[in-house]
Amino acid sequence: MSGQRGMSTLGAVLLAGTAGLLTATLMMDWMVVDVHVVEDDTPIHIKVPFPLVVADIAAGFIPDELLEEAVIPPEVKAQKELVLATVAALLDSPDTHLVKVRTEDANVDIFKEGDTLRILVDADDAVVRCNIPIDGVLAALENWDWKTVDPQMIFDVLHAAENGEFVTVATDDGVRVAIKMW
Amino acid sequence: MKRKVLVLVALAALLAAPAAFAGDETRWINVHVTENSSNTNVEVHLPLNLVLTVLRNVDVENFHGGHVDLDLDEDMDINFPEIIAAVKDAPDGKFVTVTSDEADVNVHKQGGTLFVTVNQKEDEMAKVEVTVPLELMDALSFGEENTLDVAALLQSLDSLPNGDLVTVTSNEANVRVWIE
Repeated sequence: MSGQRGMSTLGAVLLAGTAGLLTATLMMDWMVVDVHVVEDDTPIHIKVPFPLVVADIAAGFIPDELLEEAVIPPEVKAQKELVLATVAALLDSPDTHLVKVRTEDANVDIFKEGDTLRILVDADDAVVRCNIPIDGVLAALENWDWKTVDPQMIFDVLHAAENGEFVTVATDDGVRVAIKMW
Repeated sequence: MKRKVLVLVALAALLAAPAAFAGDETRWINVHVTENSSNTNVEVHLPLNLVLTVLRNVDVENFHGGHVDLDLDEDMDINFPEIIAAVKDAPDGKFVTVTSDEADVNVHKQGGTLFVTVNQKEDEMAKVEVTVPLELMDALSFGEENTLDVAALLQSLDSLPNGDLVTVTSNEANVRVWIE
């Protein structure tokens, strides 16, 4: 009787553990780096999914000395108010097709849709798609000291990114790099 | 019966449409540039508020917080407010007409709007038309140290009706700036 109760408890614990793990996995922000390259006519496809929290923790191990070496010029900090005000105003702006450029070599379009700035570049030798979360950029800039390189800014932006394509770059020589959020 | 319902729905939609759009009072500054030689076409469509926010926060040489330093010689004693008042109060008509081999220039006032047209006769054969609603002149604010409040000028565009502000047509490129 007691053996049966033991097995049942173990099962329940395993079930709860699996459910907890699954829930935690689903609740976490995931980033998928998807790379297609062609080497010696052989296509290579690498797909690396990883939770943002892991990258966030890993970034914490970057030595401070390395980050302090890359000093941001004071001219950048002088434009802090301008940049913050511009990004905030862009966030408050209604949705629209902000910029449209057509040339013989490339087409560029910039849209504002909700909290996202969509940048589309169709050039002769490359195609770029970028979906930037404006709210994430604003949060990152507000939290930044404007003096040193702060990897946390990247995670502020990534956490705010919508699910789906974040950046995709495809070149005419077959290379395609995509960062997707999930 | 079905047709009646459809007609009622269509009527309701028609009546609701202005109310739906009434809330959207965003004014837009549009710039359209086409370069003929390179077949380049650039269209920029920006909310006026965004442009104003940027202008008011720019702090560079000769431009601070929406004010531009006119950088006039100290010897020049120009009373801008008086000139503006004189232009505003002047009756409609032609103010300036210049005819030369290089270009024709015409400045005239009509129905509360000042029109400046330049027709170049050589090089790029440019034709420039600038429309200045006189309400804009009310917003022309000059500081004591020869500064012009560009932000206030742009802010006043908010109350203007939709229309062209600047159009330039030439052999090389066409430019149109308008508000809507």
